[in-house]
Amino acid sequence: MEYINGIGIISPQNTLPGQGFLEAVVEQTADFLKSVEPVYKSYIDPIASRRMSRLIKMGITSAKICLRDAGIDAPDAIITGTGLGSVEDTEKILGELTIEEKFLNPSPFIQSTYNTISSQIAISLKCHEYNSTFVHRCFSLESCLTDAVLQIREGSAANVLAGGIDEMTLNHLTIIRRLGMWKREAIRNLDLWTSETPGALAGEGSAYFVISSEKNEKTYARLAAVETLYKPSSTMQTASFVKQFLADNGLMPAEVDLVLMGSNGYSEHDRVCNEVIMQSVPAAARVLYKHLCGEYHTVSGFALYLAANIISRQMIPSCMPLLQRKPEKLENILIHNHFRNTDHAFILVRV
Amino acid sequence: MDELINKLKKEVITQLNLEDISEDDINPDSPLFGEGLGLDSIDALELIVLLEKNYGIKIEDPKDGKKIFHSIRTMAEYITEHQKKA
Repeated sequence: MEYINGIGIISPQNTLPGQGFLEAVVEQTADFLKSVEPVYKSYIDPIASRRMSRLIKMGITSAKICLRDAGIDAPDAIITGTGLGSVEDTEKILGELTIEEKFLNPSPFIQSTYNTISSQIAISLKCHEYNSTFVHRCFSLESCLTDAVLQIREGSAANVLAGGIDEMTLNHLTIIRRLGMWKREAIRNLDLWTSETPGALAGEGSAYFVISSEKNEKTYARLAAVETLYKPSSTMQTASFVKQFLADNGLMPAEVDLVLMGSNGYSEHDRVCNEVIMQSVPAAARVLYKHLCGEYHTVSGFALYLAANIISRQMIPSCMPLLQRKPEKLENILIHNHFRNTDHAFILVRV
Repeated sequence: MDELINKLKKEVITQLNLEDISEDDINPDSPLFGEGLGLDSIDALELIVLLEKNYGIKIEDPKDGKKIFHSIRTMAEYITEHQKKA
């Protein structure tokens, strides 16, 4: 079995150490939800950080917070999932190329590769163990977690630092908006569920977890299973997949206490999300969460942070609206995430 | 020379994103690499770009780099010498 023994998260909410569990919701009226960032000097040597982009600082800092939370100095493996990697550095290098190719600044080029985040974390921790990065669009974090579980089950590692990270830039947002993926107007995040315009509210964040083979006093919850389903032919197929996923893990649909819904404020896609859950686990309580963090490729990391804390603290924060009755117990939580009804991901978190 | 040294200090701080370091903190005779400012090999590449971009100076022989980039003063001397030749 695999346990979540540490969490470090930087998100558009107050999720830094000492800030409690979503006690006061952060309201933003913006084109995308931007992370509430810490003072990086407290975590990274300024000489080392001066060359790092915002994404890398977020990654290293959340990784360090996570290890401190777990009481571990160095993990046996570092695994990262990212959908976009270092967008800011990539934009910088491409921007310089279009101006004058011969005066290229080497730092953004070196750091524009996807595996920079995991590597910089390893350099910062002086960790020479297994280091890997998964770039699988909306399955990036799920692939990362699957690898973490495999590392533990094969006996290669006892404590794996695994996490998902993505940043948003105004330039990237503008380009993707043309494809109709994001809302075309700035909106207040708390009004997301009453918004009738097409597109999702974009967000960003970095969430790292220590996944361990042993349960201890730091354990939040058990990471019971991770599964993905690509391009289902129908809602019914996705619902059957969920039922089978639960059965494979010894659970009846009625035993799921809470579902963290993958809805993102794009009504056309949210309808699919609702149908899948209503057809597969109709009795479970449901909560929405993407008004807190926005939509991004590795948003499951924010959901996993929520699920682990809900189980550990046995409470649901008031900023997460319940779509059904209050659950009687909080022992089995299903996270559903989906991207335009093509990439469906399911994570089961248990007490 | 002093004017060029001060200009170079500003440019190095900006180019290398030396947060928390002011011009007064940089001794023009202190080594830039290792001790002193503690710069590294990537910074060396950035300084080469700075010389070419801001002063039109291209370092033909990489071996010269160690001498040129020893300190802010050696950089200023190299720029002055190069500009005289030009």
